[in-house]
Amino acid sequence: MLKADVEVDRRDFTVRAAIEVGPGERLALFGPSGAGKTTLLETIAGLVRPRSGLIELAGRTLTRTATPAVAVPPWQRQVGLLRQDPGLFPHLSVRDNLAYGRATDPRGAELTGLADALGIGDLLDAMPTRLSGGQQHRAALGRLLLAHCGVLLLDEPYSGLDAVLRRTLTALVVRLATERSVPAVLVAHELADAQAFANRIAVLDRGVVLQTGGPDEVVLRPAVLRVAELVGYLGFVPVAGRPDTVAGIHPDRVVPGAFPARGLVLTGTIAASRPAGAAFEVDLLCAGVAAGSRSSSTGSSGSGLPGSGQAGSGQDGTSPDGGGSTGSASTVVTCRLAERPGAEGETVTVTALDPPCFGPDGSAAGGRTGSVPERAAS
Amino acid sequence: MIWIALLGPVITLLTHLSWHSIVSSLSYAGALDPLVVSLESGGVTLAVLFVICTPLAWMLAHGSLPFPRIWEAGVLCSLLLPPLVIGLLLVFMVGPYTVFGNVIAHFNLSATNTFLALVIAQIYESAPYYVVGAQAAFGSVNPRLEQQAALLGDRPIRVFRRVTLPLAAPGLAMALAVAWARAMGAFGAVIIIAYHPYGLPLQIFTTLQETGLASALPYALVLLVVALPLPLAAYIWSARAQGRRRG
Repeated sequence: MLKADVEVDRRDFTVRAAIEVGPGERLALFGPSGAGKTTLLETIAGLVRPRSGLIELAGRTLTRTATPAVAVPPWQRQVGLLRQDPGLFPHLSVRDNLAYGRATDPRGAELTGLADALGIGDLLDAMPTRLSGGQQHRAALGRLLLAHCGVLLLDEPYSGLDAVLRRTLTALVVRLATERSVPAVLVAHELADAQAFANRIAVLDRGVVLQTGGPDEVVLRPAVLRVAELVGYLGFVPVAGRPDTVAGIHPDRVVPGAFPARGLVLTGTIAASRPAGAAFEVDLLCAGVAAGSRSSSTGSSGSGLPGSGQAGSGQDGTSPDGGGSTGSASTVVTCRLAERPGAEGETVTVTALDPPCFGPDGSAAGGRTGSVPERAAS
Repeated sequence: MIWIALLGPVITLLTHLSWHSIVSSLSYAGALDPLVVSLESGGVTLAVLFVICTPLAWMLAHGSLPFPRIWEAGVLCSLLLPPLVIGLLLVFMVGPYTVFGNVIAHFNLSATNTFLALVIAQIYESAPYYVVGAQAAFGSVNPRLEQQAALLGDRPIRVFRRVTLPLAAPGLAMALAVAWARAMGAFGAVIIIAYHPYGLPLQIFTTLQETGLASALPYALVLLVVALPLPLAAYIWSARAQGRRRG
């Protein structure tokens, strides 16, 4: 079990974070660049000294600033850190790199067995520079596992690799960490990477853990508006009958058609569309939706509530605000649709599935449009 | 053309030497004593530089000294001092009437016109070159690799031995080779505080003055022969080490 509750001073802000990761559990620290994710990892590794806090690993105190103070040096922490640069020693063969850690036999069965499992069994006598990026990462991972680290800290290790290789290596880490019951912490600024890896995701922004939850929970039920922004909600539209409350629209949680029981129905004209992977990304100009504080408004005048009578059906009072009643404006809502949309200027009706709502202070306002009971009923 | 021009002095030396003149100049008794003196003093100088200046270079490269710019400026200053000026100032620093001179006199040592004086002069002429080169060599080692070694369980001294030193070794070898060449050719400071015993540069100078250019040239060849192999070997070894890392 890894426990870390620390405050670390950075030049621009203080990282205040508390995490717990059990044996075999995988936590992803997700957040934008500069959020303090790497600082937190380096603090756990003993490379950065915290202003205050407590770090424990498997019941052993690694850092304690309170009296009696403890600061176990990095070489005694048994913490494995893997960065984007695999950090293989260029003057040593792959075999010697793997055996670098504590008392590992370079010819031992454990080393060769793990090398085979990692798919680098026939590269043991090669020098690291002869390896591809993926092979170098496999070797670096093997080195940490052979060193019998008590925790794996992965600092965006695969961000420079292609998507397929990234998924393969992530699956490999997940399997090996689970088999060995090693707690693992991944830093990621791509949500998909974090979700593919973790049991739990901690969303970090400017040094603060905004929310910790399951891989789907942080997307489906973001605790605050900032989390919603970070996990990909691109549009925020006002909610009728609830002043200063906005509903978040995630591009991937939009389906064509009107399904008031399942969420928020929006009607608008297609402002632009473009291929996005196997889907199509559409900018929908929802005229008459009063611009929420975070929505991107075109500023044009509204012409009545889009899909009047459809938007949320008003069943739970969380439909978009009525056209013009609160100062209408046109709002661009981005959504990804599986099928090619019509031409620009055509009118389209879509349903944002179970959108989360946020109050004026950015906290979750509870009671989402298209509530769960309704969805269940449907 | 530029390459040939740079090698002009060496080519000129070879074209102006005959086997007969080399044999006649170097065959009398004690003719090779300056060579022995230069090799011994050069070896001691290198050993002292490696032991004393390597930690300084490491600390400069890691910025672990307070006010690092001041330390670097000090090294640069000693690099820029003309050797003759170094010799003059060394008289006031380690001469017989100085504190240092008095202290070593108690051990029947002197830093004027002795082997010790020759070593001191060579150290002062070559140390800045070694420190600057070694600092660059240590600075080229990725600190993330040293961190990784520590996280894998190595104490700092073990990290230095297993990671830092091997990775910096090619650069250190080149720095040592340059320092060796500077030490072997040290003249400006040497002529002031270590006129005796003669090393090769002073032998060349005195032979030139006493018997002329033709007699001095064989010693110049000897100096080149002993001064160049180490830098060349270091260069070749360094290139091969880099090649091995590339696999």
